[in-house]
Amino acid sequence: MSDRTVPQDFDFHGKALDTIFDDYEAMLAEKPVGHSSKYGGFWYISKSDDIFEAEQDPDTWSVGPSMILPGFGTEMPLIPIDIDPPTHAGFRKLLLPMFTPMAINKLEPGMHATAEELAAEVKQAFEADGVVDVSHRFARPYPTIIFSRLAGYPEADWPMFDQWIDDIIYERTKSPETANKAGDDLVAYVQRLIDDGRAGTAQHGIMGDLLDAKVDGRPLTNDELISYGYLLFLAGLDTTAWAIRSSLWYLAGNLEAQRLLRAEPDRVPDAAEEFLRTLSPVQAMARTAKKDTTVRGQEIQAGERVVLVFGAGNRDPEVYDKPNDIDITRENNRHLAFGGGIHRCLGSNLGRKELVISLQHFLATIPEFELAEDEPWHGVGSLRIRLTGGE
Amino acid sequence: MAEVWIDPARCQGHARCFMLAPETFEIDDDGYGHVIAGREGSYDEENVRKAIRNCPERAIKVIGAEPAS
Repeated sequence: MSDRTVPQDFDFHGKALDTIFDDYEAMLAEKPVGHSSKYGGFWYISKSDDIFEAEQDPDTWSVGPSMILPGFGTEMPLIPIDIDPPTHAGFRKLLLPMFTPMAINKLEPGMHATAEELAAEVKQAFEADGVVDVSHRFARPYPTIIFSRLAGYPEADWPMFDQWIDDIIYERTKSPETANKAGDDLVAYVQRLIDDGRAGTAQHGIMGDLLDAKVDGRPLTNDELISYGYLLFLAGLDTTAWAIRSSLWYLAGNLEAQRLLRAEPDRVPDAAEEFLRTLSPVQAMARTAKKDTTVRGQEIQAGERVVLVFGAGNRDPEVYDKPNDIDITRENNRHLAFGGGIHRCLGSNLGRKELVISLQHFLATIPEFELAEDEPWHGVGSLRIRLTGGE
Repeated sequence: MAEVWIDPARCQGHARCFMLAPETFEIDDDGYGHVIAGREGSYDEENVRKAIRNCPERAIKVIGAEPAS
């Protein structure tokens, strides 16, 4: 049992993630609903059941002004994640058919080919140098390539993407001006894709489908198209890169897990769920109370911000045996990594498949590896590994 | 007889059931899960139990049997 208490300015971004699992243990044991002074002040909810209940109750918990806290360098609500019922349903329905398992299965040959190529490049890099940054060479480019193909982003533009993501997502808590500038650049880029789509010069992809789509019998407005484009970009690239990187981070520190998954690649899907439960890229999402309410005895007033701490719920001892152990053979794994209810992550089928396929190819191609230096479990920064010479 | 059922008011299309028990569950064009017609009463108990325990929306039920979790 941790003897820590929850910091009064509890945070779930950046450096705070280094020790956040200790914070979770303290909250779950001592104060499952509590207050943080961070980001203008918010209540956190940490128990799995409480988070589940809140996600099922959009009448009490609004996603406005944004589910993302702090915001993503833009004042516009992101469609559909920042939209409440009843408007939400029509906006979400447009996207649903594009992300079903069947739609995602069509991408599978390309997913295998790209994972194989990138893993081969990593292997080659090891021949030139004893230490390779597999975040830079594998975890980050993989989802960028897969998602850009799906969305219809021209390949020539891909090199710009990682910097925008770094600035918008990772600089926003440190340097809001940098994030806002990158946000403006991304909006301008999405506008160009829309204009190219209207002119008939764009590649086919989700952005093209959205131009043809209708909501309530009318085409989408330019602002709505920008909002969709902005969200898909941010949701599709960085989260999966993080999930692949954090999985490789774990495996680099656990040779037995590597051996098991190499010998039995059919176990990778269960292992991937466990990595999503324990090392997920989305540790928390925000809501706003629409009316006065009470959660686990704590009164929360209308208008107050609330953060659903998925990462804590995923380590709730009432739900998981040995919740802080990463057990890659765990079978009962009803985790909250993709959220739940009407706003659950639409890209979960895509993200899961990218994670599983990339890990399988990585393990099939790269022999036993370990961390070359201490690296944080979180984020999309470097992950330098070296080969152990084993296996 | 025990029958497996997905509550359409709860399903949000995570598709865990389809991944874990594809012989019992199918996914419609919008991504929502359904029990394949005719399979309600005949299914692999282990796979369905796994689907129930991994459904984030707690939307899958076996009716007329002891709760599986």
